[in-house]
Amino acid sequence: MPSLYILIPIALVFCVVAIKLLLWAINNGQYDDLDKEAWRILSDSDEKSEGKVEDE
Amino acid sequence: MQTTTSTTPSSSPDETLACYHCGEEVPDGVNYSVAIRGNQQPMCCPGCRAVAQLIAGSGLESFYQHRTAYNERPNLSELESSHHYSLYDDPEVNRGFTQQDEHGTFHSRLLIGGISCAACTWLIEQTLNRIEGIEAAVVNLGQSRLDVSFNPEKVTLGKIFERVDELGYKTRPYQTHALREQIQAESKAGLRQLAVAGLGMMQVGMFAIALHAGDLQGMELEYQSLLRWVSLFVASFVVFYSARSFFSSAWRHLKAGALVMDLPVSMAIGIAWIASLWATATGDGQVYFDSVVMFTFFLLLGRFLERRARQNDSQAWFDAESALPTAVTVQRNQQWVEVARHQLSPGDTVLVTQGETVPVDALVVKGDSSIDESTFNGEHLPRSVKPGDTVYAGTVNIEGPLEVTALGTYVDTRLAALQRSVEFAQTEKPPMARLADRIASRFIALVLLVTAATATAWLFVDPSRALWISLSVLVISCPCALALATPAALTGAASGLRRAGVIVRGENAIEALSHCTHMLFDKTGTLTKGEFQLTETHLLSTASQSEVLGLAASLQAFSSHPLAAAFTRLETKITFEQALYHVGAGLEGQMKGHSYRIGSHAFCSETCPELPPAPSEPHYWIALCRDDQPLAWFGLKDSVREEAAAVVRAATAGRLKVELLTGDSSTQGPALAKELNIATVNVGFSPQQKMAYVQQLQRQGAVVAMVGDGLNDAPVLGIADVSFAVAGATELARTQADFILAGVDLGAVIRTWTTARQCTHIIRQNLGWALCYNLCGIPLAALGYIPPWMAAIGMSASSLLVVLNSLRLNRAQ
Repeated sequence: MPSLYILIPIALVFCVVAIKLLLWAINNGQYDDLDKEAWRILSDSDEKSEGKVEDE
Repeated sequence: MQTTTSTTPSSSPDETLACYHCGEEVPDGVNYSVAIRGNQQPMCCPGCRAVAQLIAGSGLESFYQHRTAYNERPNLSELESSHHYSLYDDPEVNRGFTQQDEHGTFHSRLLIGGISCAACTWLIEQTLNRIEGIEAAVVNLGQSRLDVSFNPEKVTLGKIFERVDELGYKTRPYQTHALREQIQAESKAGLRQLAVAGLGMMQVGMFAIALHAGDLQGMELEYQSLLRWVSLFVASFVVFYSARSFFSSAWRHLKAGALVMDLPVSMAIGIAWIASLWATATGDGQVYFDSVVMFTFFLLLGRFLERRARQNDSQAWFDAESALPTAVTVQRNQQWVEVARHQLSPGDTVLVTQGETVPVDALVVKGDSSIDESTFNGEHLPRSVKPGDTVYAGTVNIEGPLEVTALGTYVDTRLAALQRSVEFAQTEKPPMARLADRIASRFIALVLLVTAATATAWLFVDPSRALWISLSVLVISCPCALALATPAALTGAASGLRRAGVIVRGENAIEALSHCTHMLFDKTGTLTKGEFQLTETHLLSTASQSEVLGLAASLQAFSSHPLAAAFTRLETKITFEQALYHVGAGLEGQMKGHSYRIGSHAFCSETCPELPPAPSEPHYWIALCRDDQPLAWFGLKDSVREEAAAVVRAATAGRLKVELLTGDSSTQGPALAKELNIATVNVGFSPQQKMAYVQQLQRQGAVVAMVGDGLNDAPVLGIADVSFAVAGATELARTQADFILAGVDLGAVIRTWTTARQCTHIIRQNLGWALCYNLCGIPLAALGYIPPWMAAIGMSASSLLVVLNSLRLNRAQ
């Protein structure tokens, strides 16, 4: 059980890093357009693979 | 692969076809089609065909598979007049929205009109990224914004404008807009709070499980204390960072004397946090950190979803001025030169060619023509103008070129006055008390009373437990499900309506619509199709019906008058050798030695004195004569939308008072009302009069729903409690409407009304359930039977039930 004294601070450090990353992404405008990204993740891979076939 | 069934237009002329590009009905006899992925797809107009050909030609056909909504119908005359975009290459003009970085790359920000789904952004990005010299093009769907970086030596800004325009979207420079910036900032702040609360919830939840397990299995006091202190640390961060907005909002409203939902929310968060803090510090009593953080997260999530459902700011950038052309032709030093519109000054002579929009209020100095003012006043027929008459900015010159002298700048125009009325309407719109807030104020009073009673009772029974039991009453009454009840239902209804082709824009639109008492309709373009159709033909000679119709159709083909459009759909094999257009009167044509005239009574009786007066029915009548022999009277009418009668019937059956509110002062208004069984008719109203009329109804306690389309409807749409813009409505009307109909079917108004009432019903159910849960929980808590972990489970289950109930709205569509 004494390991809690190390493990909990480590968990908190990870949590702070995660929050920092998220806030950076939000301020950077990466969450400005939620509809488009949801759609693009499906469509773009589709397009690229088709494009590659044509190239070869 | 095709998502739409493909039919070739030529093979099935009898069925009504939907245009593959914009989804509107393809008129009979029209045969435009474009090969997309090897299939011929029907198109309704040259504009759609041009855009579809471009898309297919660039190998971007997969756009059609991925899009989730039809495109807007592009206007061919606008497509063709894109030459003026070269104006934007002038650094003077583009300074406001373009920056140059140290490498010489230009970064421009543009607004795009007509983006309906994510596939549009893909289409625009793909098209632009292929142009040489463009380094990056990114479209933001939520804000209809295009950020483009390009090398000015390889590509010009005018070219980028033109390219987007060719795809059928409207482009204009991005201007910073205080409201839009504020909405964006709020949205970002909301996301940040949500992120912190979410991650905090995971941490505290992890510790809470350990603590609850410890309660059941036994745990050393040292570790319990450690876990409590760590939970306190994380929860405090969440309370001070994420829940701050609840406290400030509750306090702001409390100062103004209003009890809103945020008050019980802040109380629950604040008191549970203080109690847990006390318990941690003294090592005695219960901690509720997990409830505090989970509650904050769920509420923020509800708020975030609600904001997404309520605010759709993609249209908010449009104002009346955007209807005016960007470039105008002006006389400078005896020469016609093209300048940007804002460089116009009073006294300038401006050339307005046929089909162009008048850029500024002006006096006609040369030329005869007629002006289509239908979006301004709802009048069907254009107004004839001659030198000495005034023409107004935003109206369209339809017959011949005009030279006009500008009377002032944009701010002096009638259009600017209309824009000011619209802004006034926005501030005067009656506020809506939300159902949840009304319930909240009673709920708080009840909770406070019960808590006080519990505390007093326990003071007599067992003073040592009084504090903790009163606190658990406050925590169990924590209105999480109550606060989620409205946003969950609204989000469900909005996404359901979106799929049914109705875009919800207004903040309180759904609630207001569900208890509206009056439904007001505009006439031209709303109840009617806004275009003339031939309804009657009175033959005055031995010539057959098909013969006179053929003559009329081929003669009218020379005219661009709105009345002529009714004839041009007819098939004809007759060709006139020559035809002369008399502005504001009619046409004269020669064929095989005969002279034909078609037009007004006065014009035709000049050569044909025997022409009898027009029949008495309330139609627009046009005469046709051969030399001095009258051939026929044609009766034309703006035809009523087929579904209009059913819509009025359904509204009346739902005990709504249906009224007609139109700017048209002719007899067409009362005639239409009679046909559709509308009891109250108001004709000849100016935009300001329409607004005053609705305000008067509102003072009498009515909740008014308005359905309209024109520029002149924009102020009244803004002031009505709830408003609809029909398909094909002017951009200004759309920005003011709470609901925008994407399809041509007017029946969507009634379907939206039904959904709105269902939604309110679900909100009531949700609120009822949440209240019931809280009211059952309070007595148990008051008797001291509820441990914190049970409260946490109860709260989550209750919230889940509310969300699932709301999802029914989405499925029902």
